[in-house]
Amino acid sequence: MLMTGAQYIESLRKLKTRVYMFGEEIENWVDHPIIRPSINCVAMTYDLAQDPEYADLMTAKSNLTGETVNRFSHLHQSTDDLRKKVKMQRLLGQKTGSCFQRCVGMDAFNAVFSTTFETDKKYGTNYHENFKNFLMEVQKNDWVVDGAMTDPKGDRGLAPHAQKDKDLFVHIVERRDDGIVVSGAKAHQTGSINSHWHIIMPTQSMREEDKDFAVSFACPSDIEGMYMIYGRQSCDTRKLEEGAEIDLGNAKFGGQEALVVFDNVFIPNKYIFQAGEYDFAGMMVERFAGYHRQSYGGCKVGVGDVVIGAAALAAEYNGAQKASHVKDKLIEMTHLNETLYCCGIACSAEGWQTEAGNYQIDLLLANVCKQNITRFPYEIVRLAEDIAGGLMVTMPSEKDFKSDLKVGRNGETIGEICNKFFQASPACTTEERMRVLRLLENLCLGAAAVGYRTESMHGAGSPQAQRIMISRQGNIEGKKALAKAIAGIK
Amino acid sequence: MKCGVRFCGGCNPRYDRREALNQIESQFKDIDFVNAAEGVPHDLLLVIGGCSNCCASYEQFDTGAGVLKMWDKTHIDKILDDIQKRK
Repeated sequence: MLMTGAQYIESLRKLKTRVYMFGEEIENWVDHPIIRPSINCVAMTYDLAQDPEYADLMTAKSNLTGETVNRFSHLHQSTDDLRKKVKMQRLLGQKTGSCFQRCVGMDAFNAVFSTTFETDKKYGTNYHENFKNFLMEVQKNDWVVDGAMTDPKGDRGLAPHAQKDKDLFVHIVERRDDGIVVSGAKAHQTGSINSHWHIIMPTQSMREEDKDFAVSFACPSDIEGMYMIYGRQSCDTRKLEEGAEIDLGNAKFGGQEALVVFDNVFIPNKYIFQAGEYDFAGMMVERFAGYHRQSYGGCKVGVGDVVIGAAALAAEYNGAQKASHVKDKLIEMTHLNETLYCCGIACSAEGWQTEAGNYQIDLLLANVCKQNITRFPYEIVRLAEDIAGGLMVTMPSEKDFKSDLKVGRNGETIGEICNKFFQASPACTTEERMRVLRLLENLCLGAAAVGYRTESMHGAGSPQAQRIMISRQGNIEGKKALAKAIAGIK
Repeated sequence: MKCGVRFCGGCNPRYDRREALNQIESQFKDIDFVNAAEGVPHDLLLVIGGCSNCCASYEQFDTGAGVLKMWDKTHIDKILDDIQKRK
């Protein structure tokens, strides 16, 4: 059953997820003005799946059930599926101008599916069957699932077992015949509050002494002992202001991150996918990270399309669209953005089939993709700010533009003064100019910059993590052999 | 005559695919243009891609008179001719 966006939002109301923000419990988090834009983003993943113009990317045929499912809960069955995943993410970035949050679950499904298969092969465990049964439930109900990997990690110089406070990594505190009890937390969790369920994965490779930290499982988001503390974003309280719809830049959509806490949570056996098989923690991490580094070659490109469009509009509204340097900057932004897309498509096209049967991206190319993502969006927003001009950060508020307070010598209102001094090209109204500049503010340094900038840097792993993978996969010895052969070195 | 329509997913279309379909539909009042569906017979299948990759999947749909593909608005005239020939 494919839900509509409206049905998804209603389904969230049935959850009893514990959410805290600004030191208080949020009872009705579905309608909370700071949270709701992020829910609207996820709702878009449902609405587009219903639209024939987008269904080819947004849906797929489940290999488990034969039913049509949302691509976000699909196991990739070919390199074509991998490419369509990236295209779907670009589409959603374009439609929301934000992080739409549902990718982490999709990437977790595919990583856990293949890792559990290989774990069972070695240890005779039943994790793969557990996972398949769980995923069929997800597909049948069209749930959003948060794929949670990043532990708070405490002292980075210490292994999980050596931390003074063991809760800095999610770990097993008790093993029972019918399941396990876990404790700890996952940080920076994208879309966690908007998810029906969570899949938890280990955060890094583990050694034998860390086997209690090598744990993967699924649980409903409102399970007893689990709660979330909302992460604040730049300019977030603008969403609480009356009459600030224009000031928000993007009033309808936004991203979401939270700290997700597990306070002695019981997980039944059927939802466990790893529980001590420390030698498979690294595989799960590497596969999830690989998929997620591919993902950014789609989602950030879609948001980049919006940034480029907004910059082009700002130039037009300023009357500067014919200036050669402006045209050249838009070309450079497009070049950078499409280069990122090339990386996302390339690592997909070079994908391979795992032992479990689903498809994995090419690891080297996915890491190159993400490494570029840690850089190019910064240059794209730098150029966007260059084109937009300083007004995007110095402009009076929407209330000023609409104020009737008389301040001028001839009785002019604040609104009239603002409109007089901030008018530009006849191609737009002053309000239209204000709107596009606020959108750029939102994307370049406001609430959406959380997703477009810093998430580009650290999401799916910080830059050094990719450099390590590039080093491992780069085959320098092979390249040296090539050089020797051509140079005539024996 | 029933013509099943399949759009690509629209990740970065270079033209308005819906508008292109509207133009084509307006020329054939006697053809029923419907969203292509599995298990349903279509006399003809029209695949509308947003770029030259034209990556829409369509093998799962039944068609009697074949498949027509377009991925640029300049293809509209040729599509009109091709449909006319197959009526």
